[in-house]
Amino acid sequence: MTFSDIVDPEPKTAFMLTNHAVARAVLESDAKVTAFYPGSPTSEILDSLMELSRSYPDLVMEVSSNEKVALETVAGASMAGARSFTSMKSVGLNVASDAFYCLGYTGVNAGCVLLVADDPHAHSSQSEQDGRYFAPTGHVPMLEPSTPQEAYEMTRYAFELSEKHRVLVLIRTTTRVNHQSAPVKVGKVERTPIKKRKWSEVAAKYYTLSDTARRLKGEALEKLKVIEDELNGSQFNVVHEGEGKTGIIANGVSYLHVMEALDTLGVKAPVLKLGTLYPMPRKLVSEFIRGLDRVVVVEELMPFIEDQVTALAKEVNPGVQVIGKHSGHFGMVGEYNTAIVTEALARVMGLTAPRYSDVLAESQKLKSILPVRKPTFCPGCPHRGTVWSVLQALKGTSYVVNNDIGCYSMLLLEPYGVTDSLLCMGASQGVSSGMQHVLEDKVVSFLGDSTFFHAALPGIVNAIHNRHNYTVFILDNSVTAMTGQQPNPGSDWGAAPVDELDIEAVLRGMGAKNVTVIDAFDPKPNVDRIKEALSKPGFSAVISKGPCALYNDRLKRRDRVPIVPNRVSEEECKTIYACVRDFYCPAIQVDVETKQTRIQEDLCNGCGNCARLCPRSAIHTTGGD
Amino acid sequence: MVKYNILLTGVGGQGLMLLSAIIGEASTMRGVKVVTQEQHGLAQRSGSISAHVRLGDAYSPMVPIGEADMVIAMEATEALRYVEYLKPGGAVIMNKRIMHPVIETGELVKRRRENLQYVTLDQVVEQLRKRTDRVWSIDANALAEEAGNPRTENVVLLGAASRVEGFPLPRDALVEAVKKAVPERTVAANLAAFELGEKSLG
Repeated sequence: MTFSDIVDPEPKTAFMLTNHAVARAVLESDAKVTAFYPGSPTSEILDSLMELSRSYPDLVMEVSSNEKVALETVAGASMAGARSFTSMKSVGLNVASDAFYCLGYTGVNAGCVLLVADDPHAHSSQSEQDGRYFAPTGHVPMLEPSTPQEAYEMTRYAFELSEKHRVLVLIRTTTRVNHQSAPVKVGKVERTPIKKRKWSEVAAKYYTLSDTARRLKGEALEKLKVIEDELNGSQFNVVHEGEGKTGIIANGVSYLHVMEALDTLGVKAPVLKLGTLYPMPRKLVSEFIRGLDRVVVVEELMPFIEDQVTALAKEVNPGVQVIGKHSGHFGMVGEYNTAIVTEALARVMGLTAPRYSDVLAESQKLKSILPVRKPTFCPGCPHRGTVWSVLQALKGTSYVVNNDIGCYSMLLLEPYGVTDSLLCMGASQGVSSGMQHVLEDKVVSFLGDSTFFHAALPGIVNAIHNRHNYTVFILDNSVTAMTGQQPNPGSDWGAAPVDELDIEAVLRGMGAKNVTVIDAFDPKPNVDRIKEALSKPGFSAVISKGPCALYNDRLKRRDRVPIVPNRVSEEECKTIYACVRDFYCPAIQVDVETKQTRIQEDLCNGCGNCARLCPRSAIHTTGGD
Repeated sequence: MVKYNILLTGVGGQGLMLLSAIIGEASTMRGVKVVTQEQHGLAQRSGSISAHVRLGDAYSPMVPIGEADMVIAMEATEALRYVEYLKPGGAVIMNKRIMHPVIETGELVKRRRENLQYVTLDQVVEQLRKRTDRVWSIDANALAEEAGNPRTENVVLLGAASRVEGFPLPRDALVEAVKKAVPERTVAANLAAFELGEKSLG
């Protein structure tokens, strides 16, 4: 995929990531207002729409301070008559859920679509939350694609469905669908000019409360019945005819694993692929299970489809045996793959699956020589220096670390292992408040700049107001780094011109008395500065500034500014290893022959922190030679 | 077309996703059915990463255990880390380079009295040879430097992979896809890298 394929208005078939295909569909659907908070596995959707908004001036794209604000922004635009779109990761919808549940009652005006991406296996999330349950509890219809092509088509359809019934429409994906690429056939981009309207043209009300809430809830449930009738004939539900009395129902990526598994096993069982998950097309499902002896439901995470199929079976085919999670054939933890699905289906059908477990066991033996490789801070990352200074300052004291969501979450992994709690965005503040009531240890917390604005502000307000006693380290690298270096309210850039908020000024404005600002690339003197901040009673904040290395390197490459690495002097290095111990830069290795450290120059970004820590001053810039 | 499965492995930041995009692009240009599965987010921070590429009539976006016809590894230890995917007798195109993880280097230094050793290329190859004798290790770092851009290691390995018997995509499609996918000012270095990769396999 190249960006030129997404931006070019002409119809074509192009190799695309699902997230890019969704962005293209949003563009073709003439959505006018889009707003997001980044989160894996959805971030490439907002990255593409940010780029697209530069080529299509009638497309508004905003990076919001959090998902709730993003959803409210697109809801407001829809109420006012413009098509709108947002996407967020699974746990992002928790943040946005307050607005989400109200929108289930009020409905919307112009087409309004929300994509939520779950993360089975918790690849890059704090939980394996199954976001599908938002749909029935919020009375919001939900679609789920399996492939990039289908994601494109569903996004187009979601706008139609939303507008036709004046309801918010949810598209649910999972990591393995968001990050799947394939050739996608896309249509022509035809945009209409954006124009301001008058609220009097809308003539609708969007509020709930008391008797209105009860009336709207009833209406929402009635609309879902009409939508269910429509979805019974949807092109997104596909029946593959087959042989035998054992049928399979599957959704999302599980459907693809099922088709692969049947191919591997050489059987042709009937398969119902469900693409419209809520309301479930009961007529279609009833027809599918009516003649079966057994129905196998294959879905990742919780038994969302299985429980509904079981309930439906009682009415239409009480004799059918429902096989899935409750029967013990499939698990509720982790993601599925072809091996898991093939083995389970083989067990159900009395067939023999390839010997996956033998291959895995033998492979484990072969791999026993390998060192552990965990994600860690990039070469040049400002956090490495900040963390070094904080840990030096805390040395010999008794403390507890409440961590938060961002690149610095990696502190909990080896080789650091420095995290006592980590819940969700901004939670380090409330948790610190609770702990300082109970513990005699020093309570410290970590936050990033984006997390500060996203969900930490209420916690900090609370801590200042209630005179809590803890220290927060705010690692300000000027972007939302982990998700791909998007801007946040502290950044001086966005899709459109922005005003940059200053974290120090925000804290002082909220009444924080002890605020210290340090430079992440000045590690040794920072130790005393941090010790002083830690010694202050009450709430104290240390803001450590230093740009994200990935972001900074990208800017340098763009502007053709050379990235000049450092080198260890063979004459001066006395193998003290200060550049390795407690520092852990992936660019630094030990030379097997000389035992001296060596910098892999193509990885080094020349930040110089290792040189600042070297007691022999043995590390120098190469000067670009 | 019969299925051909490729597993791409490496360390976050090495340009693995670009490699997967190039193969996907080349396939699409030639009307070859393709689906890939990439990895973004947390693991990309100097972690172990993989991408799945499936050509032909495949359904699942992930290569099933034991069915990779080829593993292209941008870092030597990462060739072995995903060995369960490799078909017995499958091809391994691997970089000679080892990027020692910070945990390994940290242990080496902390326990220097015990004289711990880094894992070596020979050890990795020896283990891989227990599953296949078709292992090619290439000094992609040196060839990328020779091509004029150290960040073209991925395309060096692609050039080498294209010479392996049974590799299903034609040279001209790969070259065209490289031109389309890489930044304009690096096209020359990438094409040189591709050729050096091809030659490295003879």
